[in-house]
Amino acid sequence: MASSGEHSGHEKHSPLDQFEINPLVNFEVGGVNLAFTNSSVSMVITVLFITLFLTLTVNPRSIVPSRMQLISELCYNFIAQLLNDTVGDQGKRYFPFVFSIFMFVLIGNMVGMIPYQFTFTSHIIVTFALATVVFIGVTILGFVNHGIRFFTFFYIPGVPFYMHPLLIPIEVISYLSRPISLSVRLFANMLAGHTLLKVFAGFVVSMPFFTGVLPLTFIVALTGLEILIAFLQAYVFAILTCLYINDAYHLH
Amino acid sequence: MNNDKNSIKGLKSKIETIEKKNKNESLPKKEKALNFGFKISTEIVAALIVGVGIGILVDKFLGTKPFGLIIFFIFGALAGFLNIYRVMRRIEKQ
Repeated sequence: MASSGEHSGHEKHSPLDQFEINPLVNFEVGGVNLAFTNSSVSMVITVLFITLFLTLTVNPRSIVPSRMQLISELCYNFIAQLLNDTVGDQGKRYFPFVFSIFMFVLIGNMVGMIPYQFTFTSHIIVTFALATVVFIGVTILGFVNHGIRFFTFFYIPGVPFYMHPLLIPIEVISYLSRPISLSVRLFANMLAGHTLLKVFAGFVVSMPFFTGVLPLTFIVALTGLEILIAFLQAYVFAILTCLYINDAYHLH
Repeated sequence: MNNDKNSIKGLKSKIETIEKKNKNESLPKKEKALNFGFKISTEIVAALIVGVGIGILVDKFLGTKPFGLIIFFIFGALAGFLNIYRVMRRIEKQ
């Protein structure tokens, strides 16, 4: 890409250009930049799409569902099943939360797969904010359920007493690393995938004669893989949220 | 009537074979390995980030310059291994 950029004069295309945030409407409150950016546009599209799709397809409420209604019900069942399998009966309360997160991440990833669309999940601050919401919520849930006994979560029974000064810090760090691993996994997958697509797209232009067809076919295959990863990461995000909720209920 | 029943039975076995096939090929092997690698590496990196972060903060507020970082770096690495152990156990359960 660098070479093709030099050939075409001043224009330069980096595979990382796609992650650039451009403010569309500048807006500032008390020195805090709250500009409406292209990332915000993607999020608005995602939320609008989810809301419209779910409400419109489920609206007929037919007993024999149409194809679109079936898709909505599939999404619902998927998360309901997931919560039931991992948390059990108490998990039903958290269905709206897990479902919103799953749909937001899933449709956000899918919107990012549309050419010229911005992928907001490829920014660590977005995924980290999502993961922090999960983490803080689950921690509060643990305290609500168990009160001060929640701290026994870090205490492993059946270990010699002299090991505890060593094990408790390790457990605490392991617990604190949850939001980071949750956010980094989603962010890194999306960032790597989209960069890879753009790098190969650069080869299509810069390779001589008809050899550019080779990377082009590769991109087509890679796009399919990316869609799989987009789904898989949303699934991983949802299942880990469920597991954390489960931990908040059943210490150990 | 009898013919119908037979065709339904045939359909059932057909669905079962397809489901079996899909189960085996739901994720290509390479994709599985890639996902697995990502999982493991993020677990270690995340624990190390937290460990080093705590170490630097401890050093800053207690003025124990190198020792806090050293100790919490080791704790972070151990927590990373603990995370991986948990992931492996979860995978084994499935």
